[in-house]
Amino acid sequence: MSHLRFTIYDLRIRRRLGCGIAFAALFFAAGICHAATANDLFTQGVELNRAGQFPEAAAAFEKSAQRQPASGTLVNLGIAEWQRGHAGAAILAWEQARWIDPFDERAAQNLKFARQMAQLDEPKLKWFETASTWLPPDAWVWLAGASLWLTVGILTLPQFFRWRKAGWQQALAAAALGIFLASMTANVGVLSRTNLGFVVKKNATLKLTPTLEGEIISTLAAGEPARQLRVRGNYFFIRTENESGWIERDAFGLVAK
Amino acid sequence: MTLKMRSILSILILPVLLAPLLLRAQAPPQLPPGGLIQLQVAQPTVDISSSVTATAEFDPPVVRPGETTFYRVKVDATESAIQWPDKISAPAELQFGAMAHGQLTEYLGNQFRPHTEIIYEMRPAAAGHFLITNFSVPTSGGPVEIPAANLDVVAGNSDLPPARRLMLDISATNVFLGQPFRVRVLLPAGPGNQIEALREIQLDGDGLMTDKTALRQSIEVVNVNGQLKPAFICEMTVTPIAAGPLTFSAQGFTAGREFSGPISIHGQVTISGGPPKYVLLVSKPVEINVRPLPAESELPGFTGAIGNFFCDPPQLATNRLHVGEPARLKITFHGEGDLTRLVPPNPPRDPDWQVIADNPPATGFTLIPLTDEVHETPAIPFSYFDPATAKYVDLTIPPLPVTVVSEGLPVQLSVAEAETESAAPTKLSGLAPTPGKTVASLKPLQTRGWFVGMQLVPVIGFFALWQWDRRRRFLEAHPEIVRRRQARRALRRERRELEKAGAAGDATAFVRHAADAMRIAVAPHFPAHPQALVCGDVLAQLDTADQNAQAGETVRKIFASADARFALTPPMPADLLALQSAVETVLEKLEEKL
Repeated sequence: MSHLRFTIYDLRIRRRLGCGIAFAALFFAAGICHAATANDLFTQGVELNRAGQFPEAAAAFEKSAQRQPASGTLVNLGIAEWQRGHAGAAILAWEQARWIDPFDERAAQNLKFARQMAQLDEPKLKWFETASTWLPPDAWVWLAGASLWLTVGILTLPQFFRWRKAGWQQALAAAALGIFLASMTANVGVLSRTNLGFVVKKNATLKLTPTLEGEIISTLAAGEPARQLRVRGNYFFIRTENESGWIERDAFGLVAK
Repeated sequence: MTLKMRSILSILILPVLLAPLLLRAQAPPQLPPGGLIQLQVAQPTVDISSSVTATAEFDPPVVRPGETTFYRVKVDATESAIQWPDKISAPAELQFGAMAHGQLTEYLGNQFRPHTEIIYEMRPAAAGHFLITNFSVPTSGGPVEIPAANLDVVAGNSDLPPARRLMLDISATNVFLGQPFRVRVLLPAGPGNQIEALREIQLDGDGLMTDKTALRQSIEVVNVNGQLKPAFICEMTVTPIAAGPLTFSAQGFTAGREFSGPISIHGQVTISGGPPKYVLLVSKPVEINVRPLPAESELPGFTGAIGNFFCDPPQLATNRLHVGEPARLKITFHGEGDLTRLVPPNPPRDPDWQVIADNPPATGFTLIPLTDEVHETPAIPFSYFDPATAKYVDLTIPPLPVTVVSEGLPVQLSVAEAETESAAPTKLSGLAPTPGKTVASLKPLQTRGWFVGMQLVPVIGFFALWQWDRRRRFLEAHPEIVRRRQARRALRRERRELEKAGAAGDATAFVRHAADAMRIAVAPHFPAHPQALVCGDVLAQLDTADQNAQAGETVRKIFASADARFALTPPMPADLLALQSAVETVLEKLEEKL
């Protein structure tokens, strides 16, 4: 009887284990398939761009970036958009590429070139925002989390486990605390940069009120930087370097959307 | 300077100084009074200076009882100048019916003469001679005397001509709100089949809009009371603008041969000569029923078109466009409704297209693509209401496929620019060969909820460690708690063994486990190792009453039997297993004190 019970128990364990493995395999396969589709779209976009079919290439790169944002995909999306005459969309794509990978040379070069051609200024960043551009945004938050808990751990674990206090522990805690404090400023910079965006449509109108018939304050050039302050209906309230007003949602793109 | 020279200079300078006083500004040419009017084209004036005269009569002056006659007053003044009384004194047999009034201006060669006519419809019921006495009516030029009028109502005379009337012929009596329909105002030929024109035709009634721009005049032979007679016909389009039953009639002045505008004549007619005789005629009222349009089933793009329409396939000037380049979309409507009043579809709002409608009555559009992402023109919703089926019909202009191309931006600086701007890159980079570094989302981790939630894991871990350390320190400060807890645990173990021994009937094991259980239960009170305790130690933990009662006796028996194992031949009384319940009672009492 006990043997039989063991067998049933064993079978249940095996079945659960099997389901778990199958689920994990399915999840893993879905992830691979997702990445594979994004890669296929990337390859398709490259071929279309080389063939001079820039709208189709931009569409392929955009779909690929929607499935899996990648710096190279966004660089290519920017190139395709630029070649079809969409300076604003191109600048936004290259800024997003630099958001993912601040060390991407292609994105930096293209941004400089585009801004020189379109006579546009770079967005003016505060000192902590500039500091946040030295590493990818996610790196800063992982660094802050790791350094914080390392500090807390080094300070508390010896007490809990009655280890002897050592000088190196104190030094490590002080260093981790320093890293945490330094990374916090960069994290604030990352959060502050999330409202940074760019005008993506040519001659987009800046309005006094968020209405269709709102009084037009001025027109903005494609690629002009601005900060989004509020949202109302189909409009963003943005502040450019010189003025503030409402702009239609589809005429403005955030870097960290 | 000599005195002579001074006098010469004075003579020369003085006129110069006095000149401004003598000079006058150049005046504009003065026109004589009325000169500006003389510059304009001379127009005949309206005669309002002549003395106002009035006539009054019954038309016809002799009728049979029950027949219609009109009390007709003519005044040579404008309608607005006459303050007509609300009530006119008349014999009781004459009841005033519907009233109509109108005005026209008669051209007398060098001036216009206004004529106003007021008529009352009357239907005397009894025979007799009736008189409406003269009365005075105030006008802007002073009071005017309305003379007396006589009416003879005679019975039995069948040769009397009936009162002259207009006829009203309408194309539909049951229409929808806003649905245009045709109205024909007919003036049958008078005595001798003489045709007269009509002037100042108007429809009297509320809720109607008359379109006189599409007025059509003709002379045709029509059936009047079963008799074919030529008639002057004026046809116009009328649109109801109020729902419900509407009553209206027509009125107009006879104008002899004063035909205005083109007229088509069918058949042989006689047109009277001589000066026209202006007489205000009215028709019998007609009633139509106006139904509101069904609002619940209205389709998109309805602009008020009522009728039966169809549309040719839309024609786009070109199907290959550049961004910002306009293209003409030609749309032609046909149908049975009033196409002159057709309001073309409104241009749709599309973020990718700028759509500009042609000025009505043209029905085309100008389309300007704003992006190269569009592949077809926007659909232009349009619908009309078909009164025959009482339903809306969709006539949306379908989208047409187009290819829109955009002008690209330069990918490389010119040579001159490249030489001046050496610091900046001179061209775009090449395509990235690989997707490069990937992320799950462009939203930073700092703003994602799961990441913030994940920070709770180490917080919980450290909190658990702190609680564990705190508990450990507490137990270190209070070891008796640990001993009691260990004793309770050991006691439970021993009681299980005790129950097994009792169930198996093993008296030796029962005694040993009972004694051990009692020792374990009292050990934390001393504190001491359980095996170091004896019967007296256990009894000391019982109450005084229990020590001398059955509980004490049970303890003594158990310990006595347990100590007997040290004898050479240990006695084994068989009744020890009977103490099982008593032992349980003792153990429960001891456990309560733990």
